[in-house]
Amino acid sequence: MRTVLKVVDNSGAKKVMCIQALKGKKGARLGDTIVASVKEAHPNGKVKKGKVVYGVVVRAAMQRGRCDGSEVKFDDNAVVLVDKQGQPIGTRVFGPVPHELRKKKHVKILTLAEHIA
Amino acid sequence: MWAALRSRSSSSPFSSLHPWKQGIAVPPGLNLTAFSSSSITTNKAFLSLQEIQTVLNDVRADDVKVLSVPNTHADWADYVVLATGRSTWHVKNIAQALIYKAKQKQKGVDRKVLPSVEGQEEGKWIVIDSGKIIVHALDEKAREYYNLESLWTTETSQKDPNPELEKAFVKIRPKNNSKKPVRKVA
Repeated sequence: MRTVLKVVDNSGAKKVMCIQALKGKKGARLGDTIVASVKEAHPNGKVKKGKVVYGVVVRAAMQRGRCDGSEVKFDDNAVVLVDKQGQPIGTRVFGPVPHELRKKKHVKILTLAEHIA
Repeated sequence: MWAALRSRSSSSPFSSLHPWKQGIAVPPGLNLTAFSSSSITTNKAFLSLQEIQTVLNDVRADDVKVLSVPNTHADWADYVVLATGRSTWHVKNIAQALIYKAKQKQKGVDRKVLPSVEGQEEGKWIVIDSGKIIVHALDEKAREYYNLESLWTTETSQKDPNPELEKAFVKIRPKNNSKKPVRKVA
């Protein structure tokens, strides 16, 4: 709630603010879906400022444990905008994305990504 | 802003093999160690390239393309297959046919592992993840919107070094604004 995340796809938005984490009482982590409101957007993009969108968290500053004992954490909090069915709105994803998305059934975002951490 | 990986010393049996990278849809209650031993041997659930091509021919999918994965994606998949459906129903049908083929291949096994499917309800873009091979079934509008071929064919050619990464490791000398003359280190 109220976390401002960076948008790393070319959907037009630049910053969104989380208004709800869809799963989990303690908040959304890496790989979870959130409901967010667009706070800053590019002038001609697919989403406009003030729109309520869904997003998938692709980078989080909080470390996430992997099953072999290692942990991953990134420098920033980033999100990729999706629609309600889980289809990404943008066509490219910038920056590294972690493997956790595969397990969470976000293979589409992984295919659009340029680098997989 | 790159990932900081901190791995503790792990003496786990699957430390050399990354199960999540291979996309095995692990059911939540399953013991990971037992599963990894079976994944080293050829798992019946994974469809081979030939089988996928025959299935796509049967379903009459348009514009089937097989791409080998570029370097950045290389460790979690080997091949990517793109197929177009003429309508959403056709796209869903392609997905159903592939799952049916996987089920048939595993007849007699008591625990079936199915390839994971995404986007099943909306037939715009369905991804079927079967280990080394990932099949994307799109409809025509989605195909030109996402333009996946240009994403992967240009990726193999260009591998330009990331300027941010280079800057991150350079030590920057702070600017000396003091009036004192700089002492030359002998």
